[in-house]
Amino acid sequence: MNERYSRQTLFPAIGEEGQKKIRKKHVLIIGAGALGSGNAEVMTRAGIGKLTIVDRDYVEESNLQRQQLYTEEDVFEKMPKAAVAEKRLRAINSETDIAAVITDATPDRLEELVQTVDLIIDSTDNFETRMAINDISQKYQIPWIYGACVGSYGMSLTIIPGMTPCLHCLLKKIPIQGMTCDTGGIIAPAVQMVIAHQTAEALKILVEDWDAIRTTFTSFDLWGNQYTNIKIAKAKDDGCLSCGEARTYPFLQNENLMKTTVLCGRDTVQVRPPAKQQLDLARLSEQMQASGYQIKGNPYLISVEMKPQRIVVFNDGRALIHGTKDLSQAKAIYNRLLG
Amino acid sequence: MNKLLFFAHLKDEAGAETLSIDVSGKTIAELKTIVSEQHGLTKIDSVMTAINEEFAEDDDIIQQGDTIAFIPPVSGG
Repeated sequence: MNERYSRQTLFPAIGEEGQKKIRKKHVLIIGAGALGSGNAEVMTRAGIGKLTIVDRDYVEESNLQRQQLYTEEDVFEKMPKAAVAEKRLRAINSETDIAAVITDATPDRLEELVQTVDLIIDSTDNFETRMAINDISQKYQIPWIYGACVGSYGMSLTIIPGMTPCLHCLLKKIPIQGMTCDTGGIIAPAVQMVIAHQTAEALKILVEDWDAIRTTFTSFDLWGNQYTNIKIAKAKDDGCLSCGEARTYPFLQNENLMKTTVLCGRDTVQVRPPAKQQLDLARLSEQMQASGYQIKGNPYLISVEMKPQRIVVFNDGRALIHGTKDLSQAKAIYNRLLG
Repeated sequence: MNKLLFFAHLKDEAGAETLSIDVSGKTIAELKTIVSEQHGLTKIDSVMTAINEEFAEDDDIIQQGDTIAFIPPVSGG
């Protein structure tokens, strides 16, 4: 065995046998932001056989404080995150087959992407994609690892089809208007802590050490000095529409997807959430102002300047993104504000 | 007596990290109504709850001495 992985194979739970397994596996990372950069780097250094990383966004200046694969030059060039990640990861380990996909991870795309995949690591910034990953995971029996953070707070959960409850068992209602990194801020150590949890779980899954899998929902607050593990075994719901007996995979179905439309001649995209919502516009407005955005509003809508775009959010959750004709960019901006 | 624990931004909304309150005999759903009406917690519907560090459903009944944690799922990444 390669000297390169000697310290990892010395670790008894991995060993030479584990390393051989890692070498044969294909990991799919959805999102190449803060979590995606870190997760991808750990997996690549660990010597994973193949890594596919998917992202719809490009590098911006506000990413550099925590998104470890990117540099000032990438901001200047407005490079797609997935393309930069691919280049950096190849430079880190030429033995790993790296594939970058610049796309919006819709259910259709996910179905194509997961075909030879052994594990999915969630590094997205929204629940719509996470619930689609959750359904795909159950449909194709592929483990996935949820991770998310905001402020100094973060969480992680390992989902193994047939063994653990799924995310839909735990979240009966999909959170709307959650805090995002654009409204609640984020510190890099919270990102790193989530990455540590996700990649430790990933290594266990890749070497097939099923007994070592974490069976709790972990959440922590690094500033508030809190670390909690919630036992979730009894949350497994036989009636769950994603993993239960009469499963329908609701989050792969068209009526449950966010709708985007280019408004002709207006350089504007309309984004419509799958279900009508009741947003608290006053609260959103306060959060956005605290984050330094310029806001105008009335009881029906708020308008947020996010140069070069302007986003207008209505209280039913519908939004107009002015200054773009790009559907996936519009969705990216929407998710950054509303989660 | 019961102890309530608020995580992440719920701590700011409630104005405290913990709260001592007697809610034994009530369900988690009833407690959610109480904390949203009396303690200013918003979007409580999608918040996960745990009783004594074990995942709790809306119809679970709170016992004397139980500690109930409110854990909001977040989406940043």
